[in-house]
Amino acid sequence: MKTIMIIDDSASIRQVVSLTLKGAGYSVIEAIDGVDALKKLTENEINMMICDVNMPNMDGLTFVKTVKSDPAYNTYKFIPIIMLTTVAEEEKKLEGQKAGAKAWLVKPFLPERLLSAVEKLMI
Amino acid sequence: MNLESIKQTFLLESEELLAGMEEYLLQLEKDPGNEEAIHAIFRAVHTIKGSSGMFGYDNIVHFTHTLETMMDRLRQKEAVVTPDLIATLLKCHDHIETLVEFDTTAEEGQAVPEEYSQRGQELFSELSVFFQGGKQSVTVKKEESAKPTQPKTVEPLQRPTNGIQSPYWHISLRFAHSVLADGLDPFSFIHYLKKIGSIKNLYPVHDSLPDADLFNPEIFYLGFEIDLDAQTDDEQTVRSVFEFLEEDATIHIFPPHSASTLYEKVFQKLPESRERLTGILMKMGTLVPADLEQTSSDSPAVADAGDVEETEPKIKQSTKDHPEKKKEVPAKTSGKEEQSKKFIRIEAAKLDLLINLVGELVITEANISQIAKRENSTAMLEAASAMDRLIEELRDNVMNIRMVQIGETFRKFERIVRDISRDLKKEVELLIKGGETELDKNLIDNINDPLMHLIRNSLDHGLEDPEDREAAGKPRKGTILLNAFHDTGSIVIEISDDGKGLGKDKILAKAVERGLANKAQYYSDSDIYHFIFEPGFSTAEKLTNISGRGVGMDVVRRNIEALRGTVDIDSTEGKNTIISIRLPLTLAIIDGFIVTVGDAKYVIPLDMVTEAVEVKDIEKNSERGGNFISLRGELLPYLRLNTFFREKNMGSERENVIVVTYGQQKAGLVVDDLLGESQTVIKPLGKIFDQLHGISGATIMGNGDVALILDIPRLIEHAINQQYG
Repeated sequence: MKTIMIIDDSASIRQVVSLTLKGAGYSVIEAIDGVDALKKLTENEINMMICDVNMPNMDGLTFVKTVKSDPAYNTYKFIPIIMLTTVAEEEKKLEGQKAGAKAWLVKPFLPERLLSAVEKLMI
Repeated sequence: MNLESIKQTFLLESEELLAGMEEYLLQLEKDPGNEEAIHAIFRAVHTIKGSSGMFGYDNIVHFTHTLETMMDRLRQKEAVVTPDLIATLLKCHDHIETLVEFDTTAEEGQAVPEEYSQRGQELFSELSVFFQGGKQSVTVKKEESAKPTQPKTVEPLQRPTNGIQSPYWHISLRFAHSVLADGLDPFSFIHYLKKIGSIKNLYPVHDSLPDADLFNPEIFYLGFEIDLDAQTDDEQTVRSVFEFLEEDATIHIFPPHSASTLYEKVFQKLPESRERLTGILMKMGTLVPADLEQTSSDSPAVADAGDVEETEPKIKQSTKDHPEKKKEVPAKTSGKEEQSKKFIRIEAAKLDLLINLVGELVITEANISQIAKRENSTAMLEAASAMDRLIEELRDNVMNIRMVQIGETFRKFERIVRDISRDLKKEVELLIKGGETELDKNLIDNINDPLMHLIRNSLDHGLEDPEDREAAGKPRKGTILLNAFHDTGSIVIEISDDGKGLGKDKILAKAVERGLANKAQYYSDSDIYHFIFEPGFSTAEKLTNISGRGVGMDVVRRNIEALRGTVDIDSTEGKNTIISIRLPLTLAIIDGFIVTVGDAKYVIPLDMVTEAVEVKDIEKNSERGGNFISLRGELLPYLRLNTFFREKNMGSERENVIVVTYGQQKAGLVVDDLLGESQTVIKPLGKIFDQLHGISGATIMGNGDVALILDIPRLIEHAINQQYG
């Protein structure tokens, strides 16, 4: 079973997303911010990450940049990351894209849309 | 997990975020330069917006979105933090609270009251004053974040009359060489096509494959020409399959019967030659010679068909193209956030279950010990006593899980004190001590209202106006201290203020006037202060909207007594008032007094027992045949428990009467035998026992017997009523 890590500081979003993903047969790991996610990334075998942008401690963009560019996380840099956020500004999206995020979905999202992104981007 | 439980999470989370927001707003008020507070407020608003969007609470999204924008501008220092700005932001906070409460409790389809959005608009115009940018930029952008931003739909395609014959969609895909390195699997997209139709033909275009010795396994060399039989005529549907791939592939989509000129135009853009491409498409059957002939005759039309939407090949922008790899240092975590990570949220019912199980374990262990004793097996006794120790530890730990720090509850009052003191034009500082003191979660939930009453009282009656304080030689600013600490198995919560104190004489005079006190009798200070807990007792000359109706204190006392707690007052006139609330550490285990009635055992909460007396021939002693006994000259209504519970009458000559009190009421309960005190694990009775009178719960004794816990307040009521009824 493929494992997806959902990184969001909001527990209700984590619940909704994980409900959606579990319904589609994925197993889910939850992280509450970038720092927590970096830790869990190294502790679990993760196939994909779904990440919020605005979070305490370490925001989503910093997290993506860290995973994708920091040599310390070389092993994990090919894990696809989907951003799931209320941030809709183009500059931010572009920044995310440059950093290496594969998709930028804006909340609120339709479950089908999230699942289609997950299915397409899963490797 | 269902939607309801997620909603519950949303509610809890919003409450938490709002509490945080409030706290930071108050911090910001004290320290306007606190950027961390502004960030935290922004994040709280943002997160509420995000999660309310998930539930379709558009009114919250709408409000928080604009508020978020404003907070962002505050971050950019477009406005100055002033007490008035904070006041308005606090109002916004309250508005969100109202909205959250409305949305989570509203019936399906219930319309949002008009006044809510009006209130929102009012707040925004109030807020906009603080921003130099004026109203202009503050106007509400309604749709911006409320809807998922779908890529803009392409203008419907004008279907050329002279289209090709193939009834299928045609897709021409050329992947970027780096697609694999970018972590994409080209196959999953082609695979995904099957969701919207069936693939009729697929031709791999392998022209860019290099010689074997130059072949790099990390590079993707293939392109695809695909014929798709899709049940759609919307190009967007087909294009959406390749969402997220736009960066890594050149995609051309041809609706069925597209103009051949369109194909011609695309051929020029592809790396392969026109001949090669027409060859492939002919082989696939997408194009037939007739289509191509048309092309040449229609060639001037090429320009017209040129505005068809297409994805230009994009130059790769992957991370490796950015040599300046900045190593991001994880943001420093502040103590509080670090702390919050150590917590998990548990449903209270799960904990209750755990406590019940531990209770069972205690009982089972007692049983084992008894058997061990009976069998006289030393080894078994040793094992049992080791188990006893472990269970005790387990019990303490499990009980401890339910313990919550009271600080959170205390801090909520900061806002209330602030608001009320502004209303009353008094200067007040709230000090908090012992916020780390823990008590049972249920107690915390129930202590809120009494505390609120007491604090309001202190603010309204206790503390004087700044001028009066100065005249009395006190600092202008009054102080209210909330203090919590443990004291021999109970927790004590103190609310003290350095105000004018309680007027002892005034209270006593009032009590005499109302017939509560006897002029001739001597009353201790504590007795006198307790009169203020009488229903309707108030010495306030004038009513305010904060307090003074004499309702509060009576309710406070009853609430606290319902928690098996007590209230005490100490005061020095002109100097201070200290109100201490004493509560049991937990609601799950009580000290019980065990009695037998007939064959059954009953438990009376020990703190309601005043005394136990032996009375001979109760009936003969009864005054006028009524259910009264005379206890040292005082009339005491009594209740025969064996009649009340229809137990066997043991018919002993001397009977035991337990005198119980609740509040100001007293009664005697006639029982058969007294078994003494014991720690009692309270087990709630199931729903079907709801109608049982006089029983509040059950417990299991060490030997496995079940004993019922008496509902003393109701029994007293019954004892008194049977007199008059």
